[in-house]
Amino acid sequence: MTVTRDELAAFADGELTGARARAVEAAIAVDPALLRDLERHRALKSQLCAHFDPIAEEPVPEALAALLRPTVEQPASNVVGFAEARERIEQKRRSLVSWPRWTWVAGPALAASLALVVLVPRGGEGDAAYADAKLAGLLDRRLVAEQSPGEATRVLLSFRDRTGSYCRAFSGADGGGIACREGARWKLEALGEGSVASGSDYRMAGADDAAILARAQAMAVGAALDGEQEAAAKARGWR
Amino acid sequence: MDETGRIVRLILRKAETLSTNFEQDLLAMLPRLRRFAIGLCGNPADGDDLCQMSIERALANRDKWQAGTRLDSWMYRIMRNIWIDQGRASARRRETFVDEDAGLSVGGDGAQEAAVELSMVDRAMQQLPEEQREAVLLVMVEGYAYREAADIAGVPIGTLNSRLVRGRDALLALLGEPA
Repeated sequence: MTVTRDELAAFADGELTGARARAVEAAIAVDPALLRDLERHRALKSQLCAHFDPIAEEPVPEALAALLRPTVEQPASNVVGFAEARERIEQKRRSLVSWPRWTWVAGPALAASLALVVLVPRGGEGDAAYADAKLAGLLDRRLVAEQSPGEATRVLLSFRDRTGSYCRAFSGADGGGIACREGARWKLEALGEGSVASGSDYRMAGADDAAILARAQAMAVGAALDGEQEAAAKARGWR
Repeated sequence: MDETGRIVRLILRKAETLSTNFEQDLLAMLPRLRRFAIGLCGNPADGDDLCQMSIERALANRDKWQAGTRLDSWMYRIMRNIWIDQGRASARRRETFVDEDAGLSVGGDGAQEAAVELSMVDRAMQQLPEEQREAVLLVMVEGYAYREAADIAGVPIGTLNSRLVRGRDALLALLGEPA
């Protein structure tokens, strides 16, 4: 039989089955030219795989993996029945400086903004650092929804980490970071440099906040707490 | 959708544990997606940009993916569509880089030889028409069956087959007889 180039390629790629496969096999057995073509095809495949497969062995860049970490904001379609809460929140809206959203964290600007701030992960037990009295008091009491724009230090959001502990991301002119509840204290899990005070009353979340939020997103299990959950967690002493 | 709408929806959202299978599955296939993206684009920087755009589009369109169908084929299709859409402009950029690479002198030690050989594969791949490069990558590197590769590329299986053979023959001519 005559074996076309297409057919030989299909054979080499394992696409042929049954009688056709056996016929090509038989033709190759008696035709050195076909055998040579088959081996060239296989050698090319090996060469391509040797070139491209190591890419799949490399660690994936963090900026890409971060796009897929839990929890990405879901389009929430079921808001029926929350009309009252919605109204209340609408009234508070102006006092919200900037309610962080995971999708905002995961946005295209992330890679660039991450480079601007180095978050310092805190080490093991001996090296553990805890929030001082002033910061701890703020973390104990402050609810995200109740902050006024003028606050020197703002709580960006609250979430639970893998151990189930409550964590809160905060940001201010003196520095920002993430603190997680450990007993009665707030253990500092990450610290970043402070925002540069703009002198403006109305502050948008800056690039440093993006780094803090990205870190929070990586640590969080589940969604960021909403206003109601945050108030409930506060009432329980964040435990 | 306005900003307030999004904020309100986030605040209202209950703390239900969200199904993250979609993200986890994408995360698991990310190394392969990245290999495909870098193969299509010809360099890691453009490949990672393509990956990012693909992930963002997939997340935005997750409701269009039908559970039970293959997520990897769906994702590869998103990626190749974005790549085809913006292909022409970046192809011109790549040719510039390739020419610079080609001008490097060939050194004597093994590492340099290996690097030169690797970039030969890149150069050869970049000389293929886009459709042929895609077919070669899907079948010979990503290991898809013709039917699946044709589905991802959105062409009949015969078209895929002939693109593959033409691409393969061009590569054999460009790369010569592999040792």
